[in-house]
Amino acid sequence: MAISVSQIPHGDPNVDQLYAETRDLRLNGFLLFMVSDLVLFSSIIFAYLYLRNSGQGWPPPGFSRLDVAFAAFNSVVLFGSGVTMHFALENWKHGNFIKFANWMVATIVLGAGFLSGQGYEYWTLYQKMHVSWSGSGIFGASFFTLTGMHGFHVFAGVIYLTVLLLQATNGKYTQHKHFGLTAGTLYWHFVDVIWVLLFSIFYLF
Amino acid sequence: MNILSIEHYLAIIGAIIVTVVAIIALKNDWKTPGLENQVFKVMLGLLALGGVLSFFAAIGVLGNFGGKA
Repeated sequence: MAISVSQIPHGDPNVDQLYAETRDLRLNGFLLFMVSDLVLFSSIIFAYLYLRNSGQGWPPPGFSRLDVAFAAFNSVVLFGSGVTMHFALENWKHGNFIKFANWMVATIVLGAGFLSGQGYEYWTLYQKMHVSWSGSGIFGASFFTLTGMHGFHVFAGVIYLTVLLLQATNGKYTQHKHFGLTAGTLYWHFVDVIWVLLFSIFYLF
Repeated sequence: MNILSIEHYLAIIGAIIVTVVAIIALKNDWKTPGLENQVFKVMLGLLALGGVLSFFAAIGVLGNFGGKA
């Protein structure tokens, strides 16, 4: 019968042994999940690039280019959250729990700030350029699909990090047993890296 | 100073900070072993790249800085 770490009472030496035995397995599983997510993004990104290069120039006639200045600012907010998340995990590893909590809160706030910025950008596009998901051809459909999917990942990440912070506060993790925090950091970096790609293809090149 | 200028300067300063900090973190973690740390190194490298791209976008070298939607 399979047994999980949570089923073993606290203080039982089997916890450490089982954690050590299953940690790599869980890490590989999480990395596989990220690879599958990468495949999902890649398929839509390649579809977008194909459509973009088979059309009549980009952006299509009738559309001006996106606001790069605001996107650069919003990108820095998200990339900054990647740095704060890295500091959070490092502080946890070194036993600085207060600093960990502060960096986690900073990460969550920056993630929420990015989402707010994206919401503002969507509103501006809709109000001023009349760009929408279904009424603006390939341009609107690809932009809103890809950035919306990424935005959903950021939203899920903000929830995920909030849960991790609450779990850490309630003593679920220790300095040497914190796979959940490692997975959260990996996920958040993944979301950042996907945005590097989306920012490049939609705003820069 | 209007909002666009503030946004512009914050993007430049933020991009420099993110890039420098990501590179320092990458340097500090360079010799750490283990699969997860290898993934972290790749991610930090790409994060630094993102900071560089944001910087060039903010100073107007990449994209079309100032072109309002």
